Amino acid sequence: MANFKPENQIDTSEFIPKELNGWKAKGKDKIYDENSIFDYIDGAGEVYRAYQFRVLRARHFSKPESPNILVDLFDMGSSRNAYGVFTHNLEGERKGIGQGSTYKGGLLSFWKGRYFISLYAERETQESKKTVLELGQEISSRIPNKGKVPEIVSQLPEQGLDRTRIRYFYNPLILNYHFYVGEGNLLSLNTETHAVLGVYGEGEEVFRVLLIQYPNETKAQKSHQNFIKGYMPDSKDSTMIQTEDGKWTGTDIQGSVLIVVFEAPTQARVQDMIHKAKK
Amino acid sequence: MKKITRRDFLQKAAVSPLAGAFLLNMKSPLFSGQSQKSRVILIRDKNALISFKKANPEVIQDMLDQAVMTLLDKSSIQDTWKMLVSANDIVGIKSNVWRYLPTPKDLEDAVKRRLMDVGVKEENIGIDDRGVRRNPIFQKATALINARPARTHHWSGIGSLIKNYIMFVPRASAYHGDSCADLATIWKEYNLVDKTKLNILVMLNPLFHSVGPHNYNDEYVWEYKGLIVSQDPVAADSVGLRIIEAKRQEYFGKKVAFETPAKHIRIAETRHGLGVADPSKIELIKLGWKEDILI
Repeated sequence: MANFKPENQIDTSEFIPKELNGWKAKGKDKIYDENSIFDYIDGAGEVYRAYQFRVLRARHFSKPESPNILVDLFDMGSSRNAYGVFTHNLEGERKGIGQGSTYKGGLLSFWKGRYFISLYAERETQESKKTVLELGQEISSRIPNKGKVPEIVSQLPEQGLDRTRIRYFYNPLILNYHFYVGEGNLLSLNTETHAVLGVYGEGEEVFRVLLIQYPNETKAQKSHQNFIKGYMPDSKDSTMIQTEDGKWTGTDIQGSVLIVVFEAPTQARVQDMIHKAKK
Repeated sequence: MKKITRRDFLQKAAVSPLAGAFLLNMKSPLFSGQSQKSRVILIRDKNALISFKKANPEVIQDMLDQAVMTLLDKSSIQDTWKMLVSANDIVGIKSNVWRYLPTPKDLEDAVKRRLMDVGVKEENIGIDDRGVRRNPIFQKATALINARPARTHHWSGIGSLIKNYIMFVPRASAYHGDSCADLATIWKEYNLVDKTKLNILVMLNPLFHSVGPHNYNDEYVWEYKGLIVSQDPVAADSVGLRIIEAKRQEYFGKKVAFETPAKHIRIAETRHGLGVADPSKIELIKLGWKEDILI
Protein backbone atom coordinates (compact mmCIF):
# COMPACT_ATOMS: atom_id res chain seq x y z
CA MET A 1 0.00 0.00 0.00
CA ALA A 2 1.16 3.52 -0.74
CA ASN A 3 2.18 6.11 1.81
CA PHE A 4 -0.40 8.83 1.47
CA LYS A 5 1.23 12.22 1.09
CA PRO A 6 -1.26 14.92 1.99
CA GLU A 7 1.15 17.67 0.98
CA ASN A 8 1.00 16.50 -2.64
CA GLN A 9 -2.64 15.52 -2.86
CA ILE A 10 -6.07 16.80 -2.03
CA ASP A 11 -7.41 14.91 0.96
CA THR A 12 -10.33 13.05 -0.56
CA SER A 13 -11.48 11.37 2.64
CA GLU A 14 -14.26 13.90 3.18
CA PHE A 15 -15.71 13.23 -0.26
CA ILE A 16 -17.00 9.86 0.88
CA PRO A 17 -19.57 9.66 3.69
CA LYS A 18 -18.81 7.31 6.55
CA GLU A 19 -22.32 5.93 6.83
CA LEU A 20 -25.48 5.66 4.76
CA ASN A 21 -28.70 3.66 5.11
CA GLY A 22 -27.11 1.49 7.81
CA TRP A 23 -23.94 0.74 5.82
CA LYS A 24 -20.88 1.80 7.81
CA ALA A 25 -17.27 2.30 6.74
CA LYS A 26 -15.30 -0.80 7.68
CA GLY A 27 -11.77 -0.19 9.00
CA LYS A 28 -9.46 2.49 7.70
CA ASP A 29 -9.41 3.63 4.10
CA LYS A 30 -6.77 1.99 1.98
CA ILE A 31 -4.65 4.10 -0.30
CA TYR A 32 -2.95 2.83 -3.45
CA ASP A 33 -0.60 4.48 -5.89
CA GLU A 34 0.56 3.52 -9.38
CA ASN A 35 2.84 0.81 -8.02
CA SER A 36 0.61 -0.72 -5.39
CA ILE A 37 -2.61 -0.68 -7.43
CA PHE A 38 -1.98 -4.21 -8.68
CA ASP A 39 -2.28 -5.47 -5.10
CA TYR A 40 -5.87 -4.29 -5.22
CA ILE A 41 -7.11 -4.39 -8.79
CA ASP A 42 -5.03 -6.98 -10.64
CA GLY A 43 -4.16 -6.54 -14.34
CA ALA A 44 -6.85 -3.97 -15.04
CA GLY A 45 -4.84 -1.57 -12.85
CA GLU A 46 -2.92 -0.92 -16.06
CA VAL A 47 -5.90 1.06 -17.35
CA TYR A 48 -5.66 3.58 -14.50
CA ARG A 49 -1.93 3.85 -14.97
CA ALA A 50 -2.48 4.52 -18.66
CA TYR A 51 -4.49 7.56 -17.59
CA GLN A 52 -1.83 8.58 -15.08
CA PHE A 53 -3.92 8.24 -11.97
CA ARG A 54 -2.36 9.60 -8.80
CA VAL A 55 -4.04 8.01 -5.84
CA LEU A 56 -6.86 5.60 -5.20
CA ARG A 57 -8.79 5.75 -1.95
CA ALA A 58 -10.73 2.57 -1.21
CA ARG A 59 -13.40 2.58 1.47
CA HIS A 60 -15.41 -0.54 2.15
CA PHE A 61 -18.85 -0.45 3.75
CA SER A 62 -20.63 -3.22 5.57
CA LYS A 63 -24.05 -3.79 7.07
CA PRO A 64 -25.24 -6.92 8.87
CA GLU A 65 -27.01 -9.39 6.58
CA SER A 66 -26.30 -7.18 3.55
CA PRO A 67 -23.70 -7.25 0.80
CA ASN A 68 -20.55 -5.17 1.24
CA ILE A 69 -20.23 -2.00 -0.79
CA LEU A 70 -16.82 -0.99 -2.13
CA VAL A 71 -16.12 2.63 -2.95
CA ASP A 72 -13.02 3.36 -5.02
CA LEU A 73 -12.26 7.02 -5.52
CA PHE A 74 -9.51 7.69 -8.04
CA ASP A 75 -7.78 11.05 -8.03
CA MET A 76 -6.84 11.14 -11.70
CA GLY A 77 -4.97 14.44 -11.46
CA SER A 78 -6.96 16.14 -14.23
CA SER A 79 -10.44 16.09 -15.67
CA ARG A 80 -9.23 14.76 -19.00
CA ASN A 81 -7.88 11.69 -17.21
CA ALA A 82 -11.06 11.26 -15.17
CA TYR A 83 -13.23 11.58 -18.25
CA GLY A 84 -10.93 9.29 -20.24
CA VAL A 85 -10.90 6.48 -17.73
CA PHE A 86 -14.66 6.75 -17.42
CA THR A 87 -15.00 6.23 -21.17
CA HIS A 88 -12.97 3.04 -21.00
CA ASN A 89 -16.01 1.03 -19.90
CA LEU A 90 -19.40 2.49 -20.70
CA GLU A 91 -21.56 -0.57 -20.18
CA GLY A 92 -24.78 0.11 -18.28
CA GLU A 93 -27.62 2.56 -17.77
CA ARG A 94 -27.01 6.30 -17.53
CA LYS A 95 -27.95 7.55 -14.07
CA GLY A 96 -27.34 11.30 -14.18
CA ILE A 97 -24.72 11.23 -11.43
CA GLY A 98 -21.61 13.41 -11.62
CA GLN A 99 -20.67 14.48 -15.15
CA GLY A 100 -21.36 11.09 -16.64
CA SER A 101 -22.35 7.79 -15.07
CA THR A 102 -23.24 4.20 -15.79
CA TYR A 103 -24.91 1.59 -13.61
CA LYS A 104 -25.09 -2.13 -14.13
CA GLY A 105 -25.38 -5.16 -11.88
CA GLY A 106 -24.51 -3.39 -8.64
CA LEU A 107 -21.75 -1.28 -10.14
CA LEU A 108 -22.00 2.49 -10.46
CA SER A 109 -19.21 4.39 -12.22
CA PHE A 110 -19.07 8.13 -12.67
CA TRP A 111 -16.66 11.00 -13.12
CA LYS A 112 -16.63 14.56 -11.85
CA GLY A 113 -13.82 17.09 -11.99
CA ARG A 114 -10.54 15.23 -11.69
CA TYR A 115 -12.11 12.21 -9.99
CA PHE A 116 -13.34 8.88 -11.22
CA ILE A 117 -15.46 6.94 -8.78
CA SER A 118 -16.58 3.35 -8.76
CA LEU A 119 -19.11 2.01 -6.27
CA TYR A 120 -19.78 -1.66 -6.24
CA ALA A 121 -22.22 -3.75 -4.19
CA GLU A 122 -20.87 -7.28 -3.91
CA ARG A 123 -24.43 -8.48 -4.49
CA GLU A 124 -27.19 -6.43 -6.03
CA THR A 125 -30.35 -6.17 -3.93
CA GLN A 126 -33.00 -3.46 -4.07
CA GLU A 127 -31.51 -2.00 -0.91
CA SER A 128 -27.88 -2.17 -2.04
CA LYS A 129 -28.77 -0.64 -5.41
CA LYS A 130 -30.57 2.24 -3.70
CA THR A 131 -27.63 2.81 -1.36
CA VAL A 132 -25.03 2.66 -4.14
CA LEU A 133 -26.94 5.28 -6.12
CA GLU A 134 -27.50 7.53 -3.09
CA LEU A 135 -23.90 7.18 -2.06
CA GLY A 136 -22.84 8.13 -5.57
CA GLN A 137 -25.05 11.23 -5.51
CA GLU A 138 -23.64 12.20 -2.14
CA ILE A 139 -20.02 11.79 -3.25
CA SER A 140 -20.74 13.79 -6.40
CA SER A 141 -22.26 16.62 -4.36
CA ARG A 142 -19.15 16.77 -2.17
CA ILE A 143 -16.76 17.13 -5.11
CA PRO A 144 -16.65 20.88 -5.57
CA ASN A 145 -15.55 21.49 -9.15
CA LYS A 146 -16.66 20.24 -12.49
CA GLY A 147 -14.21 19.25 -15.20
CA LYS A 148 -14.09 19.79 -18.90
CA VAL A 149 -14.60 17.18 -21.59
CA PRO A 150 -11.58 17.39 -23.92
CA GLU A 151 -12.19 19.55 -26.97
CA ILE A 152 -11.29 16.82 -29.46
CA VAL A 153 -14.38 14.81 -28.46
CA SER A 154 -16.69 17.44 -29.96
CA GLN A 155 -14.86 17.17 -33.28
CA LEU A 156 -16.17 13.68 -34.00
CA PRO A 157 -18.77 13.82 -36.78
CA GLU A 158 -22.20 13.79 -35.12
CA GLN A 159 -24.25 11.89 -37.67
CA GLY A 160 -24.40 8.18 -36.89
CA LEU A 161 -22.09 8.45 -33.88
CA ASP A 162 -22.79 5.89 -31.16
CA ARG A 163 -22.57 8.19 -28.15
CA THR A 164 -22.34 5.24 -25.75
CA ARG A 165 -19.02 4.15 -27.25
CA ILE A 166 -16.87 7.28 -27.40
CA ARG A 167 -13.38 6.62 -25.99
CA TYR A 168 -10.92 9.32 -25.08
CA PHE A 169 -7.25 8.48 -24.43
CA TYR A 170 -3.64 9.31 -25.17
CA ASN A 171 -1.97 5.97 -24.58
CA PRO A 172 -1.42 3.34 -27.31
CA LEU A 173 -2.34 0.57 -24.86
CA ILE A 174 -5.85 1.97 -24.60
CA LEU A 175 -6.18 2.50 -28.35
CA ASN A 176 -5.13 -1.09 -28.95
CA TYR A 177 -7.61 -2.31 -26.36
CA HIS A 178 -10.55 -0.71 -28.14
CA PHE A 179 -9.25 -1.17 -31.64
CA TYR A 180 -6.00 -2.94 -32.35
CA VAL A 181 -3.87 -0.84 -34.68
CA GLY A 182 -0.45 -2.39 -34.20
CA GLU A 183 2.39 -3.16 -31.86
CA GLY A 184 4.22 -0.32 -30.25
CA ASN A 185 3.15 3.26 -30.77
CA LEU A 186 2.58 3.73 -34.49
CA LEU A 187 0.66 6.99 -33.99
CA SER A 188 3.06 8.54 -31.46
CA LEU A 189 0.45 8.92 -28.75
CA ASN A 190 1.64 10.51 -25.54
CA THR A 191 0.53 12.94 -22.84
CA GLU A 192 0.83 15.85 -25.26
CA THR A 193 -1.78 14.33 -27.57
CA HIS A 194 -5.55 13.98 -27.31
CA ALA A 195 -7.22 11.08 -29.08
CA VAL A 196 -10.83 10.09 -29.47
CA LEU A 197 -12.28 6.99 -31.06
CA GLY A 198 -15.89 7.00 -32.23
CA VAL A 199 -18.00 4.09 -33.48
CA TYR A 200 -20.45 4.41 -36.36
CA GLY A 201 -22.80 2.11 -38.24
CA GLU A 202 -24.41 -1.14 -37.21
CA GLY A 203 -23.88 -4.88 -37.53
CA GLU A 204 -21.46 -5.83 -40.28
CA GLU A 205 -21.10 -2.18 -41.28
CA VAL A 206 -19.60 -0.92 -38.03
CA PHE A 207 -16.59 1.32 -38.57
CA ARG A 208 -14.50 3.71 -36.50
CA VAL A 209 -13.21 7.24 -36.70
CA LEU A 210 -10.05 8.14 -34.83
CA LEU A 211 -9.04 11.76 -34.30
CA ILE A 212 -5.71 12.69 -32.74
CA GLN A 213 -4.80 16.21 -31.79
CA TYR A 214 -1.01 16.74 -31.80
CA PRO A 215 0.77 19.69 -30.23
CA ASN A 216 1.57 21.13 -33.66
CA GLU A 217 1.13 20.55 -37.39
CA THR A 218 4.64 19.18 -37.87
CA LYS A 219 4.01 16.36 -35.41
CA ALA A 220 0.63 15.63 -36.96
CA GLN A 221 2.20 15.41 -40.43
CA LYS A 222 4.96 13.14 -39.20
CA SER A 223 2.45 10.79 -37.57
CA HIS A 224 0.33 10.83 -40.70
CA GLN A 225 3.32 9.72 -42.76
CA ASN A 226 4.31 7.08 -40.21
CA PHE A 227 0.80 5.72 -40.20
CA ILE A 228 0.67 5.42 -43.97
CA LYS A 229 4.09 3.77 -44.01
CA GLY A 230 3.37 1.37 -41.14
CA TYR A 231 -0.30 0.53 -41.61
CA MET A 232 -0.84 0.83 -45.33
CA PRO A 233 2.59 0.37 -46.91
CA ASP A 234 1.05 -0.99 -50.12
CA SER A 235 -1.16 2.06 -50.64
CA LYS A 236 1.45 3.69 -52.93
CA ASP A 237 0.64 7.41 -53.11
CA SER A 238 -2.91 7.02 -51.89
CA THR A 239 -4.12 7.78 -48.38
CA MET A 240 -6.81 5.16 -48.63
CA ILE A 241 -6.68 1.40 -48.92
CA GLN A 242 -8.98 -1.58 -49.13
CA THR A 243 -7.96 -4.01 -46.40
CA GLU A 244 -7.89 -7.79 -46.61
CA ASP A 245 -11.41 -8.07 -45.24
CA GLY A 246 -12.80 -5.94 -48.07
CA LYS A 247 -13.27 -2.83 -45.96
CA TRP A 248 -11.79 0.62 -46.45
CA THR A 249 -9.35 2.55 -44.30
CA GLY A 250 -8.30 6.10 -45.04
CA THR A 251 -6.50 8.98 -43.42
CA ASP A 252 -5.99 12.71 -43.72
CA ILE A 253 -4.89 15.67 -41.64
CA GLN A 254 -6.48 18.96 -40.79
CA GLY A 255 -4.01 21.32 -39.16
CA SER A 256 -2.66 19.51 -36.13
CA VAL A 257 -5.41 16.86 -36.14
CA LEU A 258 -4.87 13.45 -37.70
CA ILE A 259 -8.03 11.76 -38.98
CA VAL A 260 -8.26 8.02 -39.59
CA VAL A 261 -11.38 6.14 -40.68
CA PHE A 262 -11.00 2.42 -40.00
CA GLU A 263 -12.85 -0.35 -41.81
CA ALA A 264 -15.66 1.59 -43.42
CA PRO A 265 -17.87 -0.43 -45.77
CA THR A 266 -17.11 1.74 -48.81
CA GLN A 267 -14.53 4.15 -50.12
CA ALA A 268 -17.22 6.83 -50.35
CA ARG A 269 -18.00 6.42 -46.67
CA VAL A 270 -14.34 7.03 -45.77
CA GLN A 271 -14.28 10.19 -47.87
CA ASP A 272 -17.54 11.38 -46.38
CA MET A 273 -16.37 10.86 -42.78
CA ILE A 274 -13.05 12.60 -43.43
CA HIS A 275 -14.93 15.49 -45.00
CA LYS A 276 -17.22 15.76 -41.97
CA ALA A 277 -14.35 15.51 -39.50
CA LYS A 278 -12.61 18.40 -41.24
CA LYS A 279 -15.55 20.75 -40.81
CA MET B 1 12.10 -6.08 -36.20
CA LYS B 2 8.92 -5.49 -38.18
CA LYS B 3 5.99 -4.37 -36.08
CA ILE B 4 2.80 -6.38 -36.43
CA THR B 5 -0.30 -4.37 -37.27
CA ARG B 6 -3.96 -5.28 -37.45
CA ARG B 7 -3.57 -5.57 -41.19
CA ASP B 8 -0.67 -8.00 -40.84
CA PHE B 9 -2.86 -10.05 -38.58
CA LEU B 10 -5.65 -10.18 -41.13
CA GLN B 11 -3.16 -11.43 -43.71
CA LYS B 12 -1.79 -14.07 -41.34
CA ALA B 13 -5.24 -15.28 -40.39
CA ALA B 14 -5.76 -16.30 -43.99
CA VAL B 15 -2.95 -18.87 -43.80
CA SER B 16 -3.76 -20.29 -40.39
CA PRO B 17 -4.87 -23.76 -41.62
CA LEU B 18 -1.26 -24.42 -42.63
CA ALA B 19 -0.13 -23.65 -39.13
CA GLY B 20 -2.63 -26.19 -37.82
CA ALA B 21 -1.33 -28.84 -40.21
CA PHE B 22 2.19 -28.24 -38.99
CA LEU B 23 1.06 -28.60 -35.45
CA LEU B 24 -0.50 -32.00 -35.96
CA ASN B 25 2.77 -33.35 -37.30
CA MET B 26 4.63 -32.33 -34.19
CA LYS B 27 5.85 -34.99 -31.83
CA SER B 28 4.78 -33.63 -28.52
CA PRO B 29 3.88 -35.07 -25.14
CA LEU B 30 0.83 -32.85 -25.25
CA PHE B 31 -0.90 -35.12 -27.70
CA SER B 32 -2.53 -38.48 -27.04
CA GLY B 33 -0.58 -41.04 -29.04
CA GLN B 34 -2.86 -42.90 -31.46
CA SER B 35 -5.50 -40.33 -32.16
CA GLN B 36 -3.13 -37.38 -32.64
CA LYS B 37 -5.70 -35.42 -30.69
CA SER B 38 -5.14 -33.60 -27.45
CA ARG B 39 -6.94 -35.35 -24.67
CA VAL B 40 -8.93 -33.20 -22.27
CA ILE B 41 -10.79 -34.48 -19.24
CA LEU B 42 -13.81 -32.58 -18.00
CA ILE B 43 -14.87 -33.91 -14.62
CA ARG B 44 -17.77 -32.61 -12.57
CA ASP B 45 -19.19 -33.59 -9.21
CA LYS B 46 -22.42 -32.31 -7.73
CA ASN B 47 -20.78 -32.27 -4.29
CA ALA B 48 -17.62 -30.42 -5.29
CA LEU B 49 -18.64 -27.35 -3.31
CA ILE B 50 -19.61 -27.22 0.35
CA SER B 51 -20.97 -23.70 0.02
CA PHE B 52 -20.58 -20.71 -2.30
CA LYS B 53 -16.96 -20.77 -3.52
CA LYS B 54 -15.92 -23.23 -0.77
CA ALA B 55 -14.57 -26.47 -2.20
CA ASN B 56 -15.09 -29.89 -0.68
CA PRO B 57 -11.50 -31.17 -0.17
CA GLU B 58 -12.28 -34.89 -0.37
CA VAL B 59 -14.35 -34.52 -3.51
CA ILE B 60 -11.71 -32.32 -5.11
CA GLN B 61 -9.02 -34.93 -4.41
CA ASP B 62 -11.18 -37.63 -5.94
CA MET B 63 -12.00 -35.51 -9.02
CA LEU B 64 -8.33 -34.78 -9.57
CA ASP B 65 -7.38 -38.46 -9.20
CA GLN B 66 -10.10 -39.66 -11.57
CA ALA B 67 -9.24 -37.02 -14.13
CA VAL B 68 -5.50 -37.66 -14.13
CA MET B 69 -5.86 -41.44 -14.29
CA THR B 70 -8.25 -41.18 -17.22
CA LEU B 71 -6.03 -38.63 -18.93
CA LEU B 72 -3.06 -40.98 -18.86
CA ASP B 73 -4.95 -44.28 -19.18
CA LYS B 74 -3.84 -45.65 -15.82
CA SER B 75 -5.75 -47.39 -13.07
CA SER B 76 -3.39 -46.55 -10.22
CA ILE B 77 -2.99 -43.04 -8.85
CA GLN B 78 0.67 -43.55 -8.04
CA ASP B 79 1.50 -44.96 -11.46
CA THR B 80 -0.22 -42.00 -13.04
CA TRP B 81 1.73 -39.40 -11.11
CA LYS B 82 4.97 -41.30 -11.72
CA MET B 83 4.36 -40.65 -15.41
CA LEU B 84 4.26 -36.95 -14.68
CA VAL B 85 7.04 -36.42 -12.16
CA SER B 86 9.87 -38.31 -10.49
CA ALA B 87 10.96 -38.23 -6.86
CA ASN B 88 13.93 -36.04 -7.76
CA ASP B 89 11.90 -33.33 -9.38
CA ILE B 90 11.62 -29.83 -8.03
CA VAL B 91 8.01 -28.91 -8.65
CA GLY B 92 6.32 -25.55 -8.86
CA ILE B 93 2.55 -25.46 -8.60
CA LYS B 94 1.64 -22.28 -10.43
CA SER B 95 -1.60 -21.18 -8.86
CA ASN B 96 -3.54 -17.94 -9.01
CA VAL B 97 -4.22 -15.64 -6.08
CA TRP B 98 -6.83 -13.31 -7.55
CA ARG B 99 -8.81 -12.55 -4.44
CA TYR B 100 -12.30 -12.99 -5.84
CA LEU B 101 -11.56 -16.36 -7.39
CA PRO B 102 -8.22 -17.87 -6.37
CA THR B 103 -7.02 -21.39 -7.10
CA PRO B 104 -8.70 -23.29 -4.25
CA LYS B 105 -6.27 -24.27 -1.52
CA ASP B 106 -7.92 -27.69 -1.46
CA LEU B 107 -6.84 -28.23 -5.04
CA GLU B 108 -3.29 -27.05 -4.34
CA ASP B 109 -3.19 -29.46 -1.40
CA ALA B 110 -4.57 -32.30 -3.52
CA VAL B 111 -1.82 -31.81 -6.11
CA LYS B 112 0.86 -31.48 -3.47
CA ARG B 113 -0.32 -34.67 -1.75
CA ARG B 114 0.03 -36.66 -4.95
CA LEU B 115 3.46 -35.21 -5.65
CA MET B 116 4.61 -36.27 -2.20
CA ASP B 117 3.03 -39.70 -2.65
CA VAL B 118 5.46 -40.38 -5.49
CA GLY B 119 8.41 -39.24 -3.41
CA VAL B 120 8.84 -35.56 -4.25
CA LYS B 121 10.21 -33.97 -1.10
CA GLU B 122 8.02 -31.34 0.51
CA GLU B 123 10.88 -28.84 0.49
CA ASN B 124 11.08 -29.32 -3.27
CA ILE B 125 7.47 -28.30 -3.84
CA GLY B 126 6.50 -24.65 -4.15
CA ILE B 127 3.09 -23.05 -4.60
CA ASP B 128 3.14 -19.51 -5.89
CA ASP B 129 1.63 -17.00 -8.28
CA ARG B 130 2.90 -13.43 -8.26
CA GLY B 131 6.21 -14.36 -6.66
CA VAL B 132 7.33 -17.04 -9.12
CA ARG B 133 10.20 -14.99 -10.49
CA ARG B 134 11.70 -14.61 -7.03
CA ASN B 135 10.77 -18.02 -5.68
CA PRO B 136 13.83 -20.34 -5.49
CA ILE B 137 11.68 -23.42 -6.09
CA PHE B 138 10.33 -21.96 -9.32
CA GLN B 139 13.76 -20.74 -10.33
CA LYS B 140 15.08 -24.29 -10.04
CA ALA B 141 11.89 -26.10 -11.03
CA THR B 142 12.24 -29.17 -13.19
CA ALA B 143 8.47 -29.64 -13.38
CA LEU B 144 5.44 -27.38 -13.22
CA ILE B 145 1.77 -27.98 -12.51
CA ASN B 146 -0.42 -25.18 -13.84
CA ALA B 147 -3.70 -24.66 -11.96
CA ARG B 148 -6.05 -21.71 -12.09
CA PRO B 149 -9.75 -20.83 -12.15
CA ALA B 150 -11.39 -19.86 -15.42
CA ARG B 151 -12.73 -16.32 -15.56
CA THR B 152 -13.35 -13.47 -17.90
CA HIS B 153 -10.43 -11.08 -18.04
CA HIS B 154 -10.01 -7.43 -18.94
CA TRP B 155 -7.02 -7.76 -21.28
CA SER B 156 -7.25 -11.29 -22.60
CA GLY B 157 -10.98 -12.04 -22.68
CA ILE B 158 -10.43 -15.14 -20.56
CA GLY B 159 -8.04 -15.69 -17.68
CA SER B 160 -6.73 -18.91 -19.14
CA LEU B 161 -4.10 -21.53 -18.38
CA ILE B 162 -2.00 -20.00 -21.13
CA LYS B 163 -2.26 -16.63 -19.43
CA ASN B 164 -1.49 -18.02 -15.99
CA TYR B 165 2.20 -18.01 -16.87
CA ILE B 166 2.32 -14.25 -17.34
CA MET B 167 3.89 -13.95 -13.90
CA PHE B 168 7.06 -15.48 -15.32
CA VAL B 169 7.68 -12.30 -17.32
CA PRO B 170 9.10 -9.12 -15.82
CA ARG B 171 6.53 -6.77 -17.37
CA ALA B 172 3.11 -8.27 -17.92
CA SER B 173 1.76 -5.21 -19.73
CA ALA B 174 4.13 -5.92 -22.62
CA TYR B 175 1.74 -8.72 -23.59
CA HIS B 176 -1.52 -6.76 -23.31
CA GLY B 177 -1.60 -5.53 -26.91
CA ASP B 178 -4.14 -6.99 -29.33
CA SER B 179 -6.12 -8.72 -26.57
CA CYS B 180 -2.97 -10.53 -25.35
CA ALA B 181 -2.88 -12.37 -28.68
CA ASP B 182 0.67 -13.63 -28.26
CA LEU B 183 0.60 -14.88 -24.68
CA ALA B 184 1.67 -18.31 -25.85
CA THR B 185 5.13 -16.97 -26.63
CA ILE B 186 5.79 -16.77 -22.89
CA TRP B 187 5.74 -20.54 -22.68
CA LYS B 188 8.54 -20.86 -25.19
CA GLU B 189 10.56 -17.80 -24.26
CA TYR B 190 10.71 -18.84 -20.62
CA ASN B 191 11.25 -22.53 -21.25
CA LEU B 192 7.95 -23.59 -19.71
CA VAL B 193 6.53 -25.91 -22.37
CA ASP B 194 8.38 -29.10 -21.49
CA LYS B 195 8.45 -28.40 -17.78
CA THR B 196 4.66 -28.23 -17.59
CA LYS B 197 3.38 -31.69 -16.76
CA LEU B 198 -0.25 -30.97 -16.10
CA ASN B 199 -2.77 -28.17 -16.57
CA ILE B 200 -5.86 -27.84 -14.43
CA LEU B 201 -8.48 -25.27 -15.35
CA VAL B 202 -10.68 -24.86 -12.30
CA MET B 203 -14.34 -24.68 -13.28
CA LEU B 204 -15.86 -24.95 -9.82
CA ASN B 205 -17.47 -21.53 -10.11
CA PRO B 206 -16.19 -19.76 -13.20
CA LEU B 207 -16.74 -16.05 -13.83
CA PHE B 208 -18.49 -15.59 -17.16
CA HIS B 209 -18.79 -11.81 -17.35
CA SER B 210 -16.81 -8.89 -15.91
CA VAL B 211 -17.77 -5.43 -14.81
CA GLY B 212 -16.01 -2.55 -13.06
CA PRO B 213 -12.47 -1.92 -11.90
CA HIS B 214 -12.35 -5.23 -10.06
CA ASN B 215 -13.87 -7.14 -12.96
CA TYR B 216 -15.96 -9.16 -10.59
CA ASN B 217 -19.56 -9.58 -9.51
CA ASP B 218 -21.10 -12.54 -7.67
CA GLU B 219 -23.94 -12.32 -10.15
CA TYR B 220 -21.66 -13.57 -12.90
CA VAL B 221 -20.26 -16.72 -11.31
CA TRP B 222 -22.09 -20.00 -11.38
CA GLU B 223 -21.61 -23.32 -9.68
CA TYR B 224 -20.41 -25.51 -12.50
CA LYS B 225 -18.48 -27.77 -10.11
CA GLY B 226 -15.94 -28.96 -12.61
CA LEU B 227 -12.25 -29.35 -13.37
CA ILE B 228 -10.71 -29.44 -16.83
CA VAL B 229 -7.48 -31.40 -16.91
CA SER B 230 -5.06 -31.83 -19.78
CA GLN B 231 -1.42 -31.84 -20.73
CA ASP B 232 -2.30 -29.42 -23.51
CA PRO B 233 -3.06 -25.99 -22.01
CA VAL B 234 -4.55 -24.71 -25.25
CA ALA B 235 -6.99 -27.59 -25.56
CA ALA B 236 -8.04 -27.25 -21.91
CA ASP B 237 -8.56 -23.50 -22.36
CA SER B 238 -10.48 -24.07 -25.57
CA VAL B 239 -12.91 -26.39 -23.77
CA GLY B 240 -13.24 -23.94 -20.87
CA LEU B 241 -13.90 -21.08 -23.27
CA ARG B 242 -16.67 -23.00 -25.02
CA ILE B 243 -18.38 -23.66 -21.70
CA ILE B 244 -18.15 -20.00 -20.67
CA GLU B 245 -19.47 -18.90 -24.06
CA ALA B 246 -22.40 -21.29 -23.65
CA LYS B 247 -23.10 -19.92 -20.18
CA ARG B 248 -23.12 -16.36 -21.52
CA GLN B 249 -25.56 -17.37 -24.21
CA GLU B 250 -27.79 -19.00 -21.60
CA TYR B 251 -27.59 -16.05 -19.19
CA PHE B 252 -28.00 -13.20 -21.65
CA GLY B 253 -30.45 -15.07 -23.88
CA LYS B 254 -28.33 -14.32 -26.94
CA LYS B 255 -24.77 -14.47 -28.10
CA VAL B 256 -22.90 -11.66 -26.34
CA ALA B 257 -19.33 -11.13 -27.47
CA PHE B 258 -16.63 -10.77 -24.85
CA GLU B 259 -15.59 -7.17 -24.29
CA THR B 260 -12.12 -8.40 -25.23
CA PRO B 261 -12.00 -11.37 -27.61
CA ALA B 262 -10.29 -14.43 -26.13
CA LYS B 263 -8.39 -14.93 -29.36
CA HIS B 264 -5.10 -15.74 -27.64
CA ILE B 265 -6.35 -19.32 -27.26
CA ARG B 266 -6.89 -19.80 -30.99
CA ILE B 267 -3.68 -17.96 -31.80
CA ALA B 268 -1.76 -20.19 -29.39
CA GLU B 269 -2.50 -22.93 -31.91
CA THR B 270 -2.45 -21.16 -35.26
CA ARG B 271 0.46 -18.79 -34.73
CA HIS B 272 2.49 -20.37 -31.96
CA GLY B 273 1.82 -24.11 -32.08
CA LEU B 274 1.62 -24.44 -28.31
CA GLY B 275 -1.32 -26.86 -28.48
CA VAL B 276 -4.67 -27.20 -30.19
CA ALA B 277 -7.76 -25.06 -29.83
CA ASP B 278 -9.79 -26.50 -32.70
CA PRO B 279 -12.49 -28.77 -31.15
CA SER B 280 -12.05 -31.30 -33.97
CA LYS B 281 -8.50 -31.90 -32.72
CA ILE B 282 -9.52 -32.41 -29.11
CA GLU B 283 -10.55 -35.69 -27.55
CA LEU B 284 -12.90 -34.51 -24.83
CA ILE B 285 -13.74 -37.08 -22.17
CA LYS B 286 -16.54 -36.14 -19.80
CA LEU B 287 -16.67 -37.73 -16.36
CA GLY B 288 -19.16 -37.44 -13.52
CA TRP B 289 -22.14 -35.13 -13.19
CA LYS B 290 -23.70 -34.22 -16.55
CA GLU B 291 -26.55 -31.85 -15.66
CA ASP B 292 -26.25 -28.44 -17.35
CA ILE B 293 -22.85 -29.44 -18.70
CA LEU B 294 -23.08 -26.86 -21.53
CA ILE B 295 -20.72 -28.74 -23.84
